[in-house]
Amino acid sequence: MSDGIIEATDLGVRFVKNRRRNLRLREFVVRPDRRPRVDEFWALRGVTFTIKAGDAVGVVGRNGTGKSTLLRLIAGVLVPDEGTVVTHGRVAPLLELNAGFSTELTGRENLAMVAALHGLKRPEIAEVAPKIIEFAGDQVEAFLDAPVRHYSTGMRVRLGFAIMAHLPHPILLVDEVLAVGDRDFRQKCYATIERLLSEGRTLVLVSHSEADLRRFCNRGLFIDAGKLAVDGSISDALTEYGRSQRPG
Amino acid sequence: MAAVWQYRGVLGLLVRRDLTVKYQQSVLGYLWSLIEPLTVAAIYWFVFGVLYGERVANGAPYILFLASGLFAWLWVAGVLSEATTALTGQAGLITTVAVPREIFPIGRVIGKFVEYLAALPVLALIAVLSGSGLGPRLLVLPVAVLVQGVLLVGVALLLASLNVMVRDVGRSVRLLSRVLFYALPVIYPLTRVLESSLPTWVTVGYQLNPLVGVMELHHAAWTDAVPPALTLWSAGIGSVLLLLAGWWVFRRLEPVVLKEL
Repeated sequence: MSDGIIEATDLGVRFVKNRRRNLRLREFVVRPDRRPRVDEFWALRGVTFTIKAGDAVGVVGRNGTGKSTLLRLIAGVLVPDEGTVVTHGRVAPLLELNAGFSTELTGRENLAMVAALHGLKRPEIAEVAPKIIEFAGDQVEAFLDAPVRHYSTGMRVRLGFAIMAHLPHPILLVDEVLAVGDRDFRQKCYATIERLLSEGRTLVLVSHSEADLRRFCNRGLFIDAGKLAVDGSISDALTEYGRSQRPG
Repeated sequence: MAAVWQYRGVLGLLVRRDLTVKYQQSVLGYLWSLIEPLTVAAIYWFVFGVLYGERVANGAPYILFLASGLFAWLWVAGVLSEATTALTGQAGLITTVAVPREIFPIGRVIGKFVEYLAALPVLALIAVLSGSGLGPRLLVLPVAVLVQGVLLVGVALLLASLNVMVRDVGRSVRLLSRVLFYALPVIYPLTRVLESSLPTWVTVGYQLNPLVGVMELHHAAWTDAVPPALTLWSAGIGSVLLLLAGWWVFRRLEPVVLKEL
């Protein structure tokens, strides 16, 4: 066994372009075949990497190249069609600005709900809730007993990030979240991420902000058209990414 | 299966959340779990008990016979209507939290069961007031509930995953639910079917529906009915088969479902 905390082996997932073709009765009966179909494309394929505990990994690539898909696979909310991804330890995911809130419930109820779904016991939640609320800021605190559907995107992200940051899980996945908050909140997030990293947690960060990536990450993955193009230092990944964006 | 048991705490949480959301903006709140079945029971009792003069069914007052089947049926109907959206309606949660996805449809079955439980005291009250009383036959009730639960979990797994693929499922189920209601001994006793002039293949086919046996078990818990062996066999075998089928289809569709949500 290596010392990897996240190990992806020949990871591949394919999507169907045409939604109507989704239900194929044949797939119930026979094993999914390996032949390519016209209406399918591989969002990710042949991706192999190992992330060591304590690594901070930046994932870069153009829009729609499979970065978020990769995070969802690591989070275990997507099942790969090929290969495997193994995580040794629980994952605190903040994906696509969505922490899994039920819009009809209040902020406080959602806090308890989401924290419990991520494996916190009730006394643990009671202990950590005040810290989460404080972290999320005055605005969220003022609306804590209002349904989350009345929250602005910023407020949802604040509360979502606050919850994820207070989970004891060793792996933190962050997808494009930092871009949403205001400057104050961003500063808080930076401080938190730095603290978590110094505690030895593992971070996988998807971002388009070169500054953020260079600030936190010691490793970079550059994903291009569903393939892992660079697996090296964050500078390598950013350089190669920059080069690929300049034609010629 | 073991994974689901491990996440029973989360399951309880989901059920409580659904109930909270359902009742939070209503004044009567929990009372709705009583008002709904009582109103439906009153309608059928008026039509068949009063207008058509059905006094006795299965050796018990018609109102008791009606309520014992109807309350159980409302659990079925509730699951049929809510299981279809168990995954599509909670996409935000399912695409962010890695829990066994089975718990979402199962949660809907349990949520509706809680409402059934909430109405049980009313059923007991009807039994006492109608003079039929409560007897040791009530020991059949847990069996009825168990068989029905197994069956409904299978159905819920099936409907929830299929509905992600084809949204027509929700609609078809609504229609099916209405047909099914009249194909079950809820407003009429099973003896009416068995003693009718229908050809044998129809009456046998009728009893092959596993829900017929489930309803008969419920009747047996509250009235003196003795369910025919055939209905019990279909209920027992049918519910297990449905559970296995539901589980299998759900497992099979899970990767595709997660991509679609």
